[in-house]
Amino acid sequence: MADRVPAAERLLDLVIALTHTRHRMTKAEIRASVNGYTDAASDEAFDRMFERDKDQLRALGLPVVTLTDSAHEDDVGYRIDTAEYELPPVEFTPAEIGVLSLAAQVWQDSSFAADSRRGLTKLRAVSDAADPGRFAGLSLRVRGPDAAFADLLEAIEDRITVRFTYRAASTGSTEARTVQPWRLFAKDRGWYLVGYDMAREGKRQFRLSRIVGRVRRVGRPGEVQIPESSQTEPAESEPTVVRLAVAPERASALRARGEPAPGEDGIDGRETYRLETADTERLAEELAGYGDAVVVLDPPELRAAVLRRLRAAATLGGEG
Amino acid sequence: MAQSAGDRVVQMLALITYLDAHPGVPVEQVAEHFGISTGRVLQDVSTLWVSGTPGYLPDDLIDFSADDRERNILTLTQARGMNRPLRLGAQEAVALLTALRSLQVTPGLATDPVLTSAMDKLTEAAGAAARSAQAVQVAGPDDTGEQVAEHLTTVRAAIADQQRLHLRYVSAADVVSERDVDPLQLLTDGTRWLLVGWCYRAQDVRQFRLDRILELTEAGAPAAAHPDVALSADTEPELTEAPWQVRLVLASPARWVAEQYPVTAVQDLEDARFAVDLAVLDLAWLHHLVLGIAEDVLAVEPADVATGIADRARAALEAYRAAGLDDADETDPPPPLG
Repeated sequence: MADRVPAAERLLDLVIALTHTRHRMTKAEIRASVNGYTDAASDEAFDRMFERDKDQLRALGLPVVTLTDSAHEDDVGYRIDTAEYELPPVEFTPAEIGVLSLAAQVWQDSSFAADSRRGLTKLRAVSDAADPGRFAGLSLRVRGPDAAFADLLEAIEDRITVRFTYRAASTGSTEARTVQPWRLFAKDRGWYLVGYDMAREGKRQFRLSRIVGRVRRVGRPGEVQIPESSQTEPAESEPTVVRLAVAPERASALRARGEPAPGEDGIDGRETYRLETADTERLAEELAGYGDAVVVLDPPELRAAVLRRLRAAATLGGEG
Repeated sequence: MAQSAGDRVVQMLALITYLDAHPGVPVEQVAEHFGISTGRVLQDVSTLWVSGTPGYLPDDLIDFSADDRERNILTLTQARGMNRPLRLGAQEAVALLTALRSLQVTPGLATDPVLTSAMDKLTEAAGAAARSAQAVQVAGPDDTGEQVAEHLTTVRAAIADQQRLHLRYVSAADVVSERDVDPLQLLTDGTRWLLVGWCYRAQDVRQFRLDRILELTEAGAPAAAHPDVALSADTEPELTEAPWQVRLVLASPARWVAEQYPVTAVQDLEDARFAVDLAVLDLAWLHHLVLGIAEDVLAVEPADVATGIADRARAALEAYRAAGLDDADETDPPPPLG
């Protein structure tokens, strides 16, 4: 932290100087007069420092404009347009700023966490005190997107094709994929890219955590046509009706989700329940976990999926 | 929490904007408003006080009332034109809007008027910065069920009204219990919902998964205050006291296990297999996990844990055999992702 405090002060003084300059400030003027730059050890050190600061200010929403003197093209100057950086008038109610405070705490361990906190600070500057109201006690914690997110979002915005190395889930091997990126979505604690896979000539989804290394841009901006889609990915499917034979006093959580549905196909000593699922494979995962407490009566595909798991698990003890 | 230089610049500029509109605010109130410590507010004020336009003579500097400052009150007397509020950067807008959308897919919040109006105003204020957020979607959890949605409504109301709850709960080990709980917090990781509360039976803070609550009613008594309870913001349980260290050797399709669970180590092995070390609090939880993904589990250590899982699987197969239902056709699993 020791070296960060002076950096913050230098950045602040640079902002103030560049917003107050009549026309523009050249690098030489900045180095000679702005607090924090005067002690740069060399030209190179100053250049590095200034370039980094400029990028950082842009990322913070403070656009540093480059102005060239018409008479001397080498003579570059800079300024910040206050009109450009001003937040449009907005009035949040205490309840709204309360919900935004809640939103700013959603992200764990990713750049989203710092981004949303900083955004909230900007909004709090123009707001009255927050009132959590009906959102009191509610707390959502979601893992923020993986490193590739920012590059992919920018590529979607620019409608440009990307290429990246992807680890296939089925084999674990990696290969280069070329994709026209369409959308990003969060589901079940994971982040996904949906797009058109050029080599496979079809729509595919990619888990961001399986993208290895950098996302590179290939092709030209503006060339990607993104199909309209109002629905959330992936498409909702028709729910499947499931019938289960549950041992007495067992699997109470499953019983609570379904309803008793006695039928002729029941098993003696067990109670029959009916429930619906949107995802059979996932339900199979859960049902296998219940062991002998639950027997799947219907549908046969679900029963097969559970039996596959149980047979595999039965070999784990070493006695097969 | 580490604060970058950029974050601090934004915080200092936000202070000028806020103090310019609110003269004479006590330091504590400013700290509370921005959710930072009073020490940090005072540190930022000290920095602002010596900042200004080049030359840095008294007239060039941002200024505060020194008399007020001595009384722990902040009054900005010279903003040097830096009082304009900062617009949102694209990343900030996307992060906040996506967070609001994550809240919106919560059962019962889809049409919440405060959430909706906050989203509309934020989108409007962010302007172009909000545009790229349109390419980001958030899906709600599957299979949440009506019951979880009902529980959510009941728990939220009980937290707001400070009412004690009575619940019938089934643990991961399939044991049902009745408990009185003072609700403190609702947590979600985007997949499961957890009620954090003071449990009278355990005489301690406990987490309850909403999808395991069988019945939920108000207990008919006000909730007691629990000022000594420090709420964790984390949906993962504390693993420091986990009694079992289990190693799973997994085939590649189960890579999501390393991504979704708090594994203490991941080791890549040949043929795209890999091993994860898990700190396990509750063997019932591990049994559920391993049985569910058994086709991709190649080995479990230690051996007695593996044997326990295999025994459970054999008992289940026996139940299917006894019912004459163990001859279901082998079908292919669905095509994998990507």
